[in-house]
Amino acid sequence: MTQYILRRIIQAIPLLLVISFSVFLLMNLIPGGPLAAYENNPNITPEDLARLKTELGLDAPIHVRYWNWLTAVVRGDWGISQITRRPALTEIAEKLPNTLYLSLIAFFFALIISLPIGIISATRQYSWFDHFATTVAFIGQSMPVFWFGLVLIIIFNATLKHPNGGPFLPGGGMFTIGADFSLDDRLSHLILPASVLTFFSLGTHIRYMRAGMLDVLHQDYIRTAYAKGQHERAVLLNHALKNSVLPLVTIIGLEIPGLFAGAVITETIFSWPGMGRLFFNSIERGDYAVMMGILMMSATLIVAFGLITDIVYAFLDPRIRFD
Amino acid sequence: MFVRSRAKLLVSVIALTLLVLIVVACAAPATPPPAATSAPAATSAPAPAATKPPAPTSAPTQAAGPKRGGKVTWAVWQSPITLNNLLGTQTVMGDILSLVQEGMSEVGPDGARIPVLAKEIPTVQNGGVSADGKTITWKLKEGLVYSDGKPVTCADFQFTLQATMTPGVGVVSTTGYSDIDKVECPDPNTVVLKFKNFYAPYLALFSEDLIPKHAAGDPKDMAKWDFNRKPLGTGPFKVDEWQADSFITLSRNPNYREKDKPYLDQIVVRIVPSSEVAMQLLSSGEVDIMWNNTEADFPLLEKMAGVKTSEPLQIGGERLFLNMAENKDPSDPKKPHPILSDVKVRQAIEYGINKQRIIEKLLFGKAKPGTNEINAGFFQCANFKPRGFDVAQAKKLLDETGWVPGSDGIRVSKGSKTAPDGTRLRLKYATTSGNKLREDSQVLIVEDMKAIGVELYIENAPSSVVIGSWDAGSPRRHGNFDIIMYTTNASIDPHSQMMNLFYSKNIPSEANKGGVNYTRFNDPKVDELLEKAGSDPDQNKRRDLYCQVVAMGQETTNMIYLYQRLKIDSYRDRLLGWVPNAWDSPAWNAELWSLK
Repeated sequence: MTQYILRRIIQAIPLLLVISFSVFLLMNLIPGGPLAAYENNPNITPEDLARLKTELGLDAPIHVRYWNWLTAVVRGDWGISQITRRPALTEIAEKLPNTLYLSLIAFFFALIISLPIGIISATRQYSWFDHFATTVAFIGQSMPVFWFGLVLIIIFNATLKHPNGGPFLPGGGMFTIGADFSLDDRLSHLILPASVLTFFSLGTHIRYMRAGMLDVLHQDYIRTAYAKGQHERAVLLNHALKNSVLPLVTIIGLEIPGLFAGAVITETIFSWPGMGRLFFNSIERGDYAVMMGILMMSATLIVAFGLITDIVYAFLDPRIRFD
Repeated sequence: MFVRSRAKLLVSVIALTLLVLIVVACAAPATPPPAATSAPAATSAPAPAATKPPAPTSAPTQAAGPKRGGKVTWAVWQSPITLNNLLGTQTVMGDILSLVQEGMSEVGPDGARIPVLAKEIPTVQNGGVSADGKTITWKLKEGLVYSDGKPVTCADFQFTLQATMTPGVGVVSTTGYSDIDKVECPDPNTVVLKFKNFYAPYLALFSEDLIPKHAAGDPKDMAKWDFNRKPLGTGPFKVDEWQADSFITLSRNPNYREKDKPYLDQIVVRIVPSSEVAMQLLSSGEVDIMWNNTEADFPLLEKMAGVKTSEPLQIGGERLFLNMAENKDPSDPKKPHPILSDVKVRQAIEYGINKQRIIEKLLFGKAKPGTNEINAGFFQCANFKPRGFDVAQAKKLLDETGWVPGSDGIRVSKGSKTAPDGTRLRLKYATTSGNKLREDSQVLIVEDMKAIGVELYIENAPSSVVIGSWDAGSPRRHGNFDIIMYTTNASIDPHSQMMNLFYSKNIPSEANKGGVNYTRFNDPKVDELLEKAGSDPDQNKRRDLYCQVVAMGQETTNMIYLYQRLKIDSYRDRLLGWVPNAWDSPAWNAELWSLK
């Protein structure tokens, strides 16, 4: 097992190199770049633009710039944002906690709500509960996030009034600006964005849990367990559950790197200063250093969680062996 | 085993229910919530401002004058990247900075300059401007201090120039400052600018970006200055905290030079990236000001109780650029366009466009038909007659110049001077893709043109392509276009805009990649007028010269100005003292703002 893990880690290095180079290349093929914002400004002369190109190091050929980036990153220097002129790492470190705070809470709620619902749905297939749960799952997955978020704001901020006369819930931000820290305040800001995110991933999780469970329930060993005279609950929890979560584990393994990347639409609607917006803005502004930082972080996490998922598989299903 | 599992299940169900309950309960906190934007009147109001009469521009309230204290929340959708004017050009940055920093002068609502840190605006008449225009003398007001109490001196202007001209730090624009030889300080309150070359918009220099020497740092380390995130100035407010992409809090500058002002204690700039959400927050009262609305917001804004709009007219606007040289990549400016090089065709296109219909249908009637490049401000021409919408005249011009209707109504050349007989009057019409207003207006213009027998076909591209650089292959630079549509606005001093659009040496080419005269306008008489306007220190004379260029531009019709837009912001009516000003930040007079 240790040998397997080591081999996978060593394999990941060339993979990440290839990813970083392709991403760097693609990024530079996007029309625009850090100077695009100045192109149509009558007060910025062509001389200014030419000077800036040199000063921001944009005039070197692409392979030279990639090499400079790579050698710096190996030394732990992720570069300076060509837009804000701050270190790319500072920009990311500032936003990552905000994103994790929101996405982990939503993820946790989505998981603990969807597990029991998925299991009950599967065991009571085609019951009214199953129909209800499947419908809710379907709605959650197909409802556009920007629309749902805006509707929540219209209801809970613009329409409903709090007993104190203000809006019932704040319409964005992480806390009341200028107020002292209070748990109430934090939670009241969290509830709408977390609900939107939870509702969205709830759909996926319920469906995978239900499908996984249904699949297992038709296996021979389940019938054997019933034949031994075991009670339904014992069969489900002792025999079925562990095997039925395998598909869900795959999905979660894929989702976790996404939690770090943030949710751009939810963050935009709820004015949440997170990674999704940082990434979106950095693409729009041609902020290469920040873009590369976020993309490489995501790539590394995806590779890492691919490995972790495989290890969890082996733990959940002893038939799986890595040699 | 079974019992334990059931117990576990039970516990988790209870825990889950509890969690949900807690979260729901927290939505309606039993404890009084922290002071929100709707903070009651009881703020730390100091002694009543009885000694000074209310400022003339502030809204009329009780005889006692504007109320002191309170907080205003301002929602902006653009996220500032820096608060150092030298390192950015964002509108939002300038708008926020106007709360904090001031310069020699500012532009008032009518487009005239008002002295701010200066005692008066230097002119040739009052001796502030030398006869050759190369020496400008500014006198500072007495006793000026920054918000930290330190005095403003001429040395700070020297430092600002030094910082602006520091190579290698990525200062965005050095225009104008690069023409200054040195700043001389005969005494701390006198700033003398000595120019190497005459720079016509000299009044615009040092008008917003005075950098205090003691608060900045070594210009070579400008990118690392704390000042970039916490600027210091003489303005009515000072920056307390900035959390990127989230908010900037500003509080009253206790050392502001005008007694009792500003009236407000605090301004919070909140970054609300979705303008749909910002509208809802304005409606609920969670924010007091919404920045940068569009015309499409009017139906909703007008329905909101207690919300006002500010809508001054802006200079410039959306226009069609007509390529007068050949449509090729790259285009040779000496070779004429087979269709658009004929002035009568260009004029006919303008006569044929129903600008008012675009305004009614797409801009909710809230815009003005476009006229010319300088359609507002001090340099506006008084006696300019815009060309109206006249289909008959358009058809007549096209008939006269040898374009006759073909079998399907689209005209073909029959004796036209510019195109061989049988050429179809068909032109490519491009704009930035993904912009709904532009795409919708294209549909109307294509329709208008069809009515006079001109066929336009649409081929749009992302704005980074349309408005790109020569090296990126932008069609407006290379000249491989017939008609391109987008917006550009002159500054209050139109010098650089006029040079860009009308000066023949600015025609883009391989040798002049930065050229911006996209229509390939080439008239030696205009060149001469522009050179004169760019070398005369007398502002009135310059205005006359630009007026002549504008008139010749209309005669040539290298651009067709479609509509001139409003600068729209909205605010709750509890905010008093708002004065619309298209030339400056919505908060340009925030020292006079107060709460009802």
